[in-house]
Amino acid sequence: MSKNIIEVKNLVKTYPPDVKAVQGVTFDVKEGEFFGFLGPNGAGKSTTMNMLVNLVKKTSGSVKIDGLEVDQNLDEVYKRVGFAMQEVGLDEVATAREMMQLHGRLYHLQPAEIDAQIKKLLKLVELEKVADKFTSTYSGGMRRRFDLALSLIHNPKILFLDEPTQGLDPHARQLIWGHIKNLNKQGMTIFLTTHFMDEAEQLCERIAIMDKGVIVTEGSPAELMKKHDAKNLEEVFLKTTGSNLANEEVNNNAADPYIRARQ
Amino acid sequence: MNTFFSDWYYLSIRNIKLIWRPIMALIPSLFMPIFFFAVNSLSLSAFAKVPGFPNVSYKDFIAPVAIFTAIFFSAGNAGIELVQDITGGYLKKLIIMPINKLAIVLAKLVEVAFQSIMQGLIMLVLLLLWGVHFHSGILGVFTIFGILVLFAMGWSCISMIIALRAQNARLVQSMFLLVFPLLSITTSAAPRALLPHTFAVATDYNPVTYIIEAIRALVLNGFGDPAITKGFIAAGTMFVVLVTLTVISFRKTLK
Repeated sequence: MSKNIIEVKNLVKTYPPDVKAVQGVTFDVKEGEFFGFLGPNGAGKSTTMNMLVNLVKKTSGSVKIDGLEVDQNLDEVYKRVGFAMQEVGLDEVATAREMMQLHGRLYHLQPAEIDAQIKKLLKLVELEKVADKFTSTYSGGMRRRFDLALSLIHNPKILFLDEPTQGLDPHARQLIWGHIKNLNKQGMTIFLTTHFMDEAEQLCERIAIMDKGVIVTEGSPAELMKKHDAKNLEEVFLKTTGSNLANEEVNNNAADPYIRARQ
Repeated sequence: MNTFFSDWYYLSIRNIKLIWRPIMALIPSLFMPIFFFAVNSLSLSAFAKVPGFPNVSYKDFIAPVAIFTAIFFSAGNAGIELVQDITGGYLKKLIIMPINKLAIVLAKLVEVAFQSIMQGLIMLVLLLLWGVHFHSGILGVFTIFGILVLFAMGWSCISMIIALRAQNARLVQSMFLLVFPLLSITTSAAPRALLPHTFAVATDYNPVTYIIEAIRALVLNGFGDPAITKGFIAAGTMFVVLVTLTVISFRKTLK
């Protein structure tokens, strides 16, 4: 029986004055598991995911990664996790190789180890030929694939993926799926948020669906379909979450304070 | 602490690489000082004959302003780059690395120092070709760069504080407007003795005045002028205060 590599208990995030973005979420992810975290826009998925790595400060609750309390062992936790975010955020006038070298050094890897990782990862995401081109010359799919490779430079135990195939064509999506599946087969724990139900159904062993700041259902895709008498995961999603558009909360975590103030 | 210096070093190298690509991007901030120096030294040369003006050419008198302006215009770019890192998501990538987060801010200062030295050197060569004479020699040039680098790092901190607080590139860019009053309400164009009294008093409250006067002392007179110490104190105070405020702002952003 695999141990729990992510343990979340009663996680709460409240934004002033009283916006409850996450309301006491509890779940575990097992080592080596492919875990899907789904929910409509504004459900609190990204906030929860960001709290798992302390990018957003939790209001209360507990998060343990690989047995370590996150807010007390940040550097140790950061050595164990990779994070491919919604914003790809690359240095436009740096090459893929330069960026990977920099990240390897910032993770304090040895030069030989960095070189080996660069070779392995660029091959994995099929970007060896453009390793020495500026990232600004990459297509959207190439940027996503490179960002995935970059998040793996330190060979993390857990990979967080926040909508990794958003805005990609079906071919690029299939490519990314293949890469992620391979990583999971090699034993890496994957924590995925996505809006593509087919993606979640194909990739995830276990899924939690979140709505209005709480987890509304949890289980394997087959279990969820059986439990909610649905033909596919999309139907499960629609039955458990309904439409959230009218009540969708504004982004209280918007970067620009002017925008936050206007909200 | 053991990884602090390596984190700082590698992030500094990253920043320095990014500002030099493409190298043509450095030209706009040099254009204005070169243009104003050329126009003013040619059109206002007769001003040096006005009674009360020091016994130097107008070209030599305004040369310190040209070097200073080149750095003044570009040092604010650090804030714009920081906004790009924040909004593009790169800062998040850095935050979730096991690095000393202070290195992120200090690496920006190294970038600013490096850029200031390179732009200052280009201006220095142009001024020497134009016939400006530096009375304090090579040691004086090093001293000038010491003052300029301290000022540039301090000044860049204002843009970084705005970047961290507002996270809005347009707002950071608007800081550019401050350059004009700060540069104009000084002794940049005429010695203090020739300025109207009220204006002269106003220049006393502008730290930029002391920096320009210090560089001018090194260009025109050599060492021994008390203006040099005053310039160092002004630049050093700005550096200490503004770097401290930037670090506080950065820590607040992380919380």
